[in-house]
Amino acid sequence: MNYFEFTNPTKLCSGQGALDNLAYELEILGASHPMVLSDAMLEKIGTLKQVTDALSDVQIGRIFTDIPRDSSIETVNRIAKEYRDFGCDALVALGGGSVLDTAKGVRLLISQDADDLLELMGCECVPKGKPVPFVAIPTTAGTGSEATAVAVIKNPKLGIKMEYISQQLVPDTAILDPRMTATLPPRITASTGMDTLCHAIEAFSCLQKNPVSDAYAISAIELVRDNLLRAVRFGASRQARWAMANASFLAGAAFSNSMVGVVHAIGHALGGVCHVPHGDAMNILLPAGMMFNCKKCRDVYGELLLYLGGPELYGKTPKQKRARAAIEEVLRMRERLHRLTGLPVTLKEAGVDPAKFPEVARAALNDGAVIVNPRQVTYEAVIRILEVSYGN
Amino acid sequence: MKRELQNQVNALVLQVLFRGFRVLYKHDERVRKEMDAWKDGLTLKLVCGPGGAVLAMRKSERTGVAKLHRAQRTAITMRFKSVEGAFRVLTGQMSVSQAYAAHFFTLEGDIYQTMSFVRCVEYAEAYLFPRFWSRRILKEVPEKELSALRVYVLALLENGR
Ligand SMILES: [Zn+2]
Repeated sequence: MNYFEFTNPTKLCSGQGALDNLAYELEILGASHPMVLSDAMLEKIGTLKQVTDALSDVQIGRIFTDIPRDSSIETVNRIAKEYRDFGCDALVALGGGSVLDTAKGVRLLISQDADDLLELMGCECVPKGKPVPFVAIPTTAGTGSEATAVAVIKNPKLGIKMEYISQQLVPDTAILDPRMTATLPPRITASTGMDTLCHAIEAFSCLQKNPVSDAYAISAIELVRDNLLRAVRFGASRQARWAMANASFLAGAAFSNSMVGVVHAIGHALGGVCHVPHGDAMNILLPAGMMFNCKKCRDVYGELLLYLGGPELYGKTPKQKRARAAIEEVLRMRERLHRLTGLPVTLKEAGVDPAKFPEVARAALNDGAVIVNPRQVTYEAVIRILEVSYGN
Repeated sequence: MKRELQNQVNALVLQVLFRGFRVLYKHDERVRKEMDAWKDGLTLKLVCGPGGAVLAMRKSERTGVAKLHRAQRTAITMRFKSVEGAFRVLTGQMSVSQAYAAHFFTLEGDIYQTMSFVRCVEYAEAYLFPRFWSRRILKEVPEKELSALRVYVLALLENGR
């Protein structure tokens, strides 16, 4: 590699009371009629109310909470229509990856004056359009969507998850407030936390890896190492929640620039074909994906041991054993989370039917993430990773 | 001047690539499988920088691909940001994956179908460049199902229209 690009224009408001600045942030973005996107669960448990309270005097153009877990092209198109019908002039997205990605799709449509997301498919091909102020407030610490130029949106007609990559998707502002993740149940904390780890590890080892994205990825890995188990065990710990929210943002910015690889390619396919939740899929597939890439990534994974296991373990592990030890650290983390929350570690536990493997493999090969994976991904390789991940 | 020369080389390699696709559709089972899976009538375009050489094709059931007029809108477009970037890929100094990693080109259209097209380009590269060369740029050199020399001879005989 002798050339790279890096961008992360999102303003980050992170920590205690971050949400209190929402009205101000919208105002300086020139917004007065925001559309608030969220989901029914967040409305029910009162998280949405915290956000509408924080909006105080700002006149809300429309609140939309009917967003399913796997948001689709149709949902995005419908919301964009409402955005126009209700005269909204900004987007506030409160939720996990699905809500945030939905908002990104809506932003893309509005900015390009388009009606159908299918017209805007592609990678880095959409020009800067109409400005649509966009504030993202994640309620999970995992997808890192608040920091990325990527959106994954389902196309139910084809039964696949489609990837959109564009600068026009990156939020203007991300608000990371520990209050937003305080009530996240332990199992989802674990699952989304492993997604963060996976973003950082894949970003650190993919073809687009570069010194700037590496710095983000390393910081994310250290935060996950020191805080994920604590956030799972002691959900009310603001320090642990805050650290994981920061990790998620950092890992998101890392992979938005250096992309993810085979683990995500297969994970997206498993989500599309077998409906395995994204974080669960990452948790299940990460070790097998690392073992597959190890042939090309021995040095890179060896280096990762320093951040995954800490300096002491790194120091006493001989160089040639470090890559293996790094994978073992991931397995150990996974085992602990499994014991604490029952997070599945095999595809069998996740209820995946092995008869679907060929379909999953075909979809995975067509995922954009395979192109930047360090090792050539073949059909046979994907099947092998799926088989290894099925049993222990 | 240098750019003009690179433009001409790009145009030439696109010609070889197009003929190569048709030969491989007939003789390489993997390429045939990829192209057969494309949507009927799928249109694709490779644009080598602003004002640069263009290869526009559509899926053809008989020959794998057939040429289209360069001005026609296509479902999938792989657009190099510069003539120089396209030159580096088309002359085998850089693989498609490396070029993607370095943001040398943009993709318009369904990323899923683009991936299949990228694999076809990689198969063609394995024939187009000598093995020691491909090994330098490809993550893994795909096995050849026929000799590179035969592909070249057949490509010369192939209808380039
Ligand atoms: Zn992910």
